[in-house]
Amino acid sequence: MGSGIWSTDVYAAAANYRAAKGTSAFAYSDSGARAVHDDLNPYGVAARESRDSAEHPATVAVAVLFDVTGSMGGVPRTLQTKLPDLLGLLLRKGYAADPQILFGAIGDATCDRAPLQIGQFESDNRMDEDLGKVLLEGGGGGQKSESYELAMYFMARHTTLDCFEKRGRRGYLFIIGDELPYPKVKRREVGKVIGDGLGRDVTTKEIVAELTRKYDVYYILPAGASYAGDRQVLTAWRELLGQNVLELDDLDAVCETIALTVGLGEDAISLDEGLSDLDDLGSPAGTAVGKALARLDRGTLVVTEGLDLGGDSGVVRL
Amino acid sequence: MREHMIVVDLGYGDAGKGTVVDWLCAQGPVQAVVRFNGGAQAAHNVVLPDGRHHTFAQFGSGTLRGVPTHLSRFMVVDPLALASEATHLAGLGVPDPFGLLTVDRDALIATPYHAAAGRARELARGADRHGSCGMGIGATMAYALDHPGLGPTVGDCENPALLTRKLYALRETLGVAGPPVEDCVAAYRAFAERVILVDSSFTRALLRGHPVVFEGAQGVLLDEWHGFHPYTTWSTTTFANALALLDGVPAVRLGVLRTFTPRHGPGPLVTEDPELGGSEVHNTTGPWQGSFRAGHFDAVAHRYALAVAGGADALALTHLDAPVSRMCVSYDIGELPVGTAGDLDGQDRLTRRVLQARPRYADGVDDWPAAVADVLGVPVWLGSAGPTAADKARLSGAITLERV
Repeated sequence: MGSGIWSTDVYAAAANYRAAKGTSAFAYSDSGARAVHDDLNPYGVAARESRDSAEHPATVAVAVLFDVTGSMGGVPRTLQTKLPDLLGLLLRKGYAADPQILFGAIGDATCDRAPLQIGQFESDNRMDEDLGKVLLEGGGGGQKSESYELAMYFMARHTTLDCFEKRGRRGYLFIIGDELPYPKVKRREVGKVIGDGLGRDVTTKEIVAELTRKYDVYYILPAGASYAGDRQVLTAWRELLGQNVLELDDLDAVCETIALTVGLGEDAISLDEGLSDLDDLGSPAGTAVGKALARLDRGTLVVTEGLDLGGDSGVVRL
Repeated sequence: MREHMIVVDLGYGDAGKGTVVDWLCAQGPVQAVVRFNGGAQAAHNVVLPDGRHHTFAQFGSGTLRGVPTHLSRFMVVDPLALASEATHLAGLGVPDPFGLLTVDRDALIATPYHAAAGRARELARGADRHGSCGMGIGATMAYALDHPGLGPTVGDCENPALLTRKLYALRETLGVAGPPVEDCVAAYRAFAERVILVDSSFTRALLRGHPVVFEGAQGVLLDEWHGFHPYTTWSTTTFANALALLDGVPAVRLGVLRTFTPRHGPGPLVTEDPELGGSEVHNTTGPWQGSFRAGHFDAVAHRYALAVAGGADALALTHLDAPVSRMCVSYDIGELPVGTAGDLDGQDRLTRRVLQARPRYADGVDDWPAAVADVLGVPVWLGSAGPTAADKARLSGAITLERV
């Protein structure tokens, strides 16, 4: 029992709230939060949906998931400041008519508090709020592996894309990280983190095959991360994703890299056109982006035509 | 500590929940302290070994150890009092008190209009005061019950237009004065912009991390349905709200008691003895709730509290350093029966019987933990012989959870 010893003066209260230091773009993480924000919790989520609407009749789903474990160093924080530019970049140059963007974060299900965080597909800057809610984990073990496979499992089985279902166009999924996926999607972790009851573990290869029917999947290994340039990491991802494995020298160019990749995939531009667009926009990112995307510049789409739901992975290994 | 814990006072409050929660938070990583009843009228005193002291009202009692607080949907939140409490915490060296806070959007807010109405009602009772704290908690609950959907909530603070409409209606219905509605809205907006508001499912996420400590307010003997009506509080003071938030996740139910039985304000205190209690540094006479009183350890009242709360897994016993040796083991009217929740007439009759009851004492108690465990049938797990965490010691081994 008490007596209410703290002042309830309305003016003092307003002044105190305003004087307290403002919320940053990473409000949630910086607040001392220790658990996944509700809005990003994948547990029990039936599906994250990318849907057409009257306002956005021809959506293209673009998902960006980044590793937030300790090996990534300051990279996640830089991504949190850069990624809000992505929507504007896609729209300004018309690389995609109605992009819908989802942000998410990948941790390590074997030891982290936040093994997987997944926002919503949004057509306006609401996805930036999701970005602000991402808990920067900073954990992860020393085993050079993070739970990318769990994230890919979620994207394969718990997302619904109108671009794919209505128009047979795959969405885009970018995974930014510096380590290997575990070889299997573990039944127990899926149950704990996502809430699905699986009969057995699923190999990461199987999940990639499922995933690449729905998405063009790209892996970006950025400079500044612990395993930047690591051959073992690059080789492992190339075995899974073929040529869709990019090395990025300049983290500041991450939005441009993603935007141009989408532009190339949508057949809206060639790489040269895209790089000249970047010059037009006054972006200094051209060199880094050009280098990262050189492998993708074939002047044509990289993916197989049409839908082949019964078949294997949609990635063409060149 | 590996289990979630619910800390509840099995008396009339003031037993030392704050200091017990502080100790729990010092034992290892704690995900969060969750408040699950009452509001800003709580006053949980925590003293650190270095002498720093804070009276926790809405922030959880683990704040000085950096443990985040979650105010659940069962709380009545007072964003104005929260701001001044945060200022004091910042002064004690807590880097960003607001950053340690999450608040459920569904929680009701207590406003200056509720407080004005509550005070007017208590004043009108004259000598028959119920011992209100003057914070408007009761008025907040009453208004929300009488006007479904119109009681302002934490979530409304994000919606200034809606909040403005609700506050005008509230002020008019209650017929009170108070600060201009626009000024209140401005303060509540600043609150919503600064503090992280969450939905009810947040609790589920919290429970998947490190242990969570549920910090109760007031005491079971003040419970709205099972307390000695009308000397009660407008909240469920048992384990019930915490168990609802846990939704089947197991937790240890820890009851807190003193080696003597205190109470604030009017109402039954069968074992009252003016010689007892001495000076209480942090428990003074409140302008609204009345004087601080003390009685001998009342096993009958605490057994009733245990029955009302559905039992406890373990006890924390504070004030082992107090020079007391007398314990009330029975009343001349026998044990107190647990009535039906909601039967306030029945509770009123019970109160009148308790006010007539005479205690029967046992003297010469020296091993308090053993004596209390014996008369209440619950092991005493934690003992406290002073104000800080350093004055506390675990008295028995692991707690066996009664798995339902």
